[in-house]
Amino acid sequence: MSAQKKRTFKIEAFKHRVELDPKYAERTWKVLEHAIHEIYNHNASGLSFEELYRNAYNMVLHKYGEKLYSGLVTTMSGHLKEIAKSIEDSQGGLFLEELDRKWGDHNKALQMIRDILMYMDRTFVPGNHKTPVHELGLNLWRDNIIRSGKIQTRLLDTLLDLIHRERTGEVINRSLMRNITKMLMDLGSSVYQEDFEKPFLEVSASFYSGESQQLIECCDCGEYLRKAERRLTEETERVSHYLDVKSEVKITSVVEGEMIANHMQRLVHMENSGLVNMLVDDRYEDLSRMYNLFRRVPDGLSTVRDVMTSHLRETGKQLVSDPERLKDPVDFVQHLLDEKDKYDKIISKAFNNDKSFQNALNSSFEYFINLNNRSPEFISLYVDDKLRKGLKGVSEEDVEVVLDKVMMLFRYLQEKDVFEKYYKQHLAKRLLSGKTASDDAERSMIVKLKTECGYQFTSKLEGMFTDMKTSVDTMQGFYANQYSETGDGPTLAVQVLTTGSWPTQPSGPCNLPAEILGICDKFRTYYLGTHTGRRLTWQTNMGTADIKATFGKGQKHELNVSTYQMCILMLFNSADQLTYREIEQATEIPAPDLKRCLQSLACVKGKNVLRKEPMSKDIAEDDAFYFNDKFTSKFIKVKIGTVAAQKESEPEKQETRQRVEEDRKPQIEAAIVRIMKSRRVLDHNTIVTEVTSQLQSRFLPNPVVIKKRIESLIEREFLERDKTDRKLYRYLA
Amino acid sequence: MASRRGRIRFNVGGKIFETTATTLANAGRHSMLGALLDDSWNPRQPVEGEAADAEYFIDRNPACFAVLLDLLRTGELHVPPNMPEKLLNREALFYGLLDQVRAARWGPFDGNRLQLVDSVSGRAPGDGTAIRAGPDGGCCVAHGSMVHVYDWMLEEHRPISLDYQQVNDVGYIDAESIVISARERLGKGDGGMGVFSSSTGELRHRFRVSHDNQVKSFTAGALSLGSSDYKIFASCKGRCNEYGIGVWDQITGQQVDFFYEPPGCSLGDADKLQWLDGDKCLMVATLFPRTDNCFIGLLDFRDKSVNWSWSDAGTSVSLSLDEKRVLHAIAIEDSRSICVVNQYDDLGFIDLRSNAGGVRWSSRSKLTNRKAPNEESCYPKLATHNGQLFSSMNDGISVFCGPEWVLTSTLRRSYGGSICDFSIGGDRLFALHSEENVFDVWETPPSLTI
Repeated sequence: MSAQKKRTFKIEAFKHRVELDPKYAERTWKVLEHAIHEIYNHNASGLSFEELYRNAYNMVLHKYGEKLYSGLVTTMSGHLKEIAKSIEDSQGGLFLEELDRKWGDHNKALQMIRDILMYMDRTFVPGNHKTPVHELGLNLWRDNIIRSGKIQTRLLDTLLDLIHRERTGEVINRSLMRNITKMLMDLGSSVYQEDFEKPFLEVSASFYSGESQQLIECCDCGEYLRKAERRLTEETERVSHYLDVKSEVKITSVVEGEMIANHMQRLVHMENSGLVNMLVDDRYEDLSRMYNLFRRVPDGLSTVRDVMTSHLRETGKQLVSDPERLKDPVDFVQHLLDEKDKYDKIISKAFNNDKSFQNALNSSFEYFINLNNRSPEFISLYVDDKLRKGLKGVSEEDVEVVLDKVMMLFRYLQEKDVFEKYYKQHLAKRLLSGKTASDDAERSMIVKLKTECGYQFTSKLEGMFTDMKTSVDTMQGFYANQYSETGDGPTLAVQVLTTGSWPTQPSGPCNLPAEILGICDKFRTYYLGTHTGRRLTWQTNMGTADIKATFGKGQKHELNVSTYQMCILMLFNSADQLTYREIEQATEIPAPDLKRCLQSLACVKGKNVLRKEPMSKDIAEDDAFYFNDKFTSKFIKVKIGTVAAQKESEPEKQETRQRVEEDRKPQIEAAIVRIMKSRRVLDHNTIVTEVTSQLQSRFLPNPVVIKKRIESLIEREFLERDKTDRKLYRYLA
Repeated sequence: MASRRGRIRFNVGGKIFETTATTLANAGRHSMLGALLDDSWNPRQPVEGEAADAEYFIDRNPACFAVLLDLLRTGELHVPPNMPEKLLNREALFYGLLDQVRAARWGPFDGNRLQLVDSVSGRAPGDGTAIRAGPDGGCCVAHGSMVHVYDWMLEEHRPISLDYQQVNDVGYIDAESIVISARERLGKGDGGMGVFSSSTGELRHRFRVSHDNQVKSFTAGALSLGSSDYKIFASCKGRCNEYGIGVWDQITGQQVDFFYEPPGCSLGDADKLQWLDGDKCLMVATLFPRTDNCFIGLLDFRDKSVNWSWSDAGTSVSLSLDEKRVLHAIAIEDSRSICVVNQYDDLGFIDLRSNAGGVRWSSRSKLTNRKAPNEESCYPKLATHNGQLFSSMNDGISVFCGPEWVLTSTLRRSYGGSICDFSIGGDRLFALHSEENVFDVWETPPSLTI
């Protein structure tokens, strides 16, 4: 060539070379083809990379890229076909190993081929829209090996069979599995999904469908759930050992669907071992497992929650309507608290403190507590019991705990104003009779009610405490100033109660004994002297008295009695025998109270300071009473209670009810006016909803009552009906 | 194999080089040198002693190898003055080191440190339509019905010829693919938009516009390539009032949306489209002299509404020649404004936050020389890059920086006439001159490693 160049400096010298090219290209390709063969035959050590690279470079440079590329495709395909044959011929168990080994070989060869053809990869491939060598090698492997007729199904069957065997407890070669699945992933996520994952999920679904059918027939709920949980962990482990991470969600959702979702109802309602039994037996572990498994499937938790709710409501309903339980309010409330504790514990231990479960629990309690309209009374009685004696010797923290629990029940109450009524009554009794166990506990309870319901709710209750305190001061002042010449006469302790703050029943005046009257008048003068413009009324029905009595054999007792009883007993200072009528005349105590007093004085064993003729349980109008000379008692101090039910009697209940209803009226009216004042015009339904929402914290107003109140307000010209639309109300300023 | 304490010896075209494995590791596994040293090609470890004599023979130019080896050693490229760039690039391509060479050539773009590195004279005598920078540092120049394509080595590829269809705009999808929008000729179903290979010039895909499931022929105008969601926007003019903005997917090439021109907004004739990533809307500007009344709007494709618009219709009642007319516009998302330029090369800003605002003109005439009256002028163009604003004017380009847009640099060359278009991309700035169809290449020198 150089000789030619010398002779002529025209460009034809170049042309000559171009004409020589076909042979050159063929020769160069032969070298490269040979090298590829050698690489596949593990015989690459004799090859010179530099030479091969240069050859491939020259081919591309001289525009033989297409020939090089197509040659590569043919040669590689040829080798892969041979490989396919050798894999097909492999014996049963060795199939996967052979596939794995050949895959390794191919990868290595591909790497080397790519090295040789790097220049082509950089220049020819992108410009001509060809597949890069590495990807080409993978595609060819996929088409010639993985998707060749004989290998494709065999591979899939082998893989699925191995997984099945592992599921049934056999040990398989996991690293081999991992290599094979990794190969499928390397070939592209679509290959992994189409050729393996999809059938794998189908087979898994049918496997677990069968297993779950079998298990549900022979296992109880807890055991079934244990097995399902184990299966789930197994599958997750399987994914981490030899499957694509992305498969985890898919396979677990298959297991969840087949083992949980499809049998949800049956599991929950399983006889003797279902959810209800777990709840009853406090099987935290099983419940927690159920929660965690059911959480994974759609509607799982709502199923559990619904069953729990209906069970709770059912048992709660039984609890509040059980006549046996209603006899003892303290026991009744204690049961409610225990039930609440039990479920709180279940929710925190097993249900992950799930908010929706807590809400379900709360709504169930609210539902059944309000089924019994005596719940407010009972809860108040429970507090009364606790504050009277139940909390003696209990640490402050524990008192708080008990009170907090009560407050929790209180929150469920719809008729909070009824509770307030009762609480006021009970508190009054406690305060007046001095039975309060702990002043701190009382105050703490008031604070709790205040934070729950606001200042208004407790202002009267607090007023009662203030009255008690000022009374003590007043009495001190009274004795210091006026009554310093204390003699044998009776000692008076007066509690001055503000009208309105206290639940006072109108009581007829009773004739106090002359001894008492004197000192009472003194107190009255003292009090009115220090506080002008006030009026004092004696609430004789609420007082107590300590009187000393000497009985037949000279034994002295101190009797702790009510004011009424004192009045009666004082009569016997001047007479040994009195008839009912005489007593009634002398004292003017209202008949029902008088009967009760006499009953407690004459008919209670061990405390019968009076004797009644004839001897019977009940007091009749023509009975006669004698001073009981033979009265004995081990104690010096004898407390004579009034026979009175702790619980309210039926008429009393009616009365309280009525008073509550009466109290509600102004509240409802106030709410209506408040709303109308700001909204001016509203239709009936909106008013009802707004009023209900405003008053919810105190009670649940009856729509009929609201309607009546609205009518009353219209009558009094606070509101008027719209002239065109009768459904609308207008506020009249 | 020659790896005695990591030393490797090469014989390149008869010259011996000795280097270390660590130096060669800079070439990467996917280079010729990386493969050469890889274990798969060196199956057996040589016996000690023998190793010292072993060497790799490479049948290439030793001078170029020396330069490239130096590049691997230091990360800097120093080309001897007597070595043609083409030669070095060819050798770098052989070794698979072209990327390293490219990275060492110029640094990250900075408008204030630009240096003119080359001026390429085009084939045609002036009147180029547009120049566009490619993502890898190449560019393409459109004039008439031809698009000339240059790679980053400024090596010209086969030009794209559109058979007498006027090219309206060009843009790069990636270094390998160029979108061209062209004018439709009456009576022929051609025009529209297509993707062409930048290396071979062949047509790869044609974008279709269909209305009521009928494929229509159309004229495609200004282009915008949304970078974040792989969309192409083009202003389209159809035969039967199908005016508006067409949207295609860059990957599938299918039409995904069409924004029909609402009354009062001229979209089909737009001069400039710009996709705003932050606002997820498209700025459309139709400007003088294509239209008498300039219109700039932001289109929201999600609910097919015009979010914001500005127009000088009505503001300039007397269409005197002295009136400041908006000739080019560019949205600057960071400062929530649109920058415009007028025939006196004044910059103006329109606030994107209010709908009623006018243009705040900031005269820069005092800063720069007014053009000579006899010189043929081109309309000014604007561009932004990394918070810097570029404005072409006569034969120079001004660079503005900072919140107040202070003039910080001017790029000027003396020959080729005024600049009719410029483009920034691949860390380079290309400026196309109008008279001789020469384009300049400006790049930032690599920062020195101390």
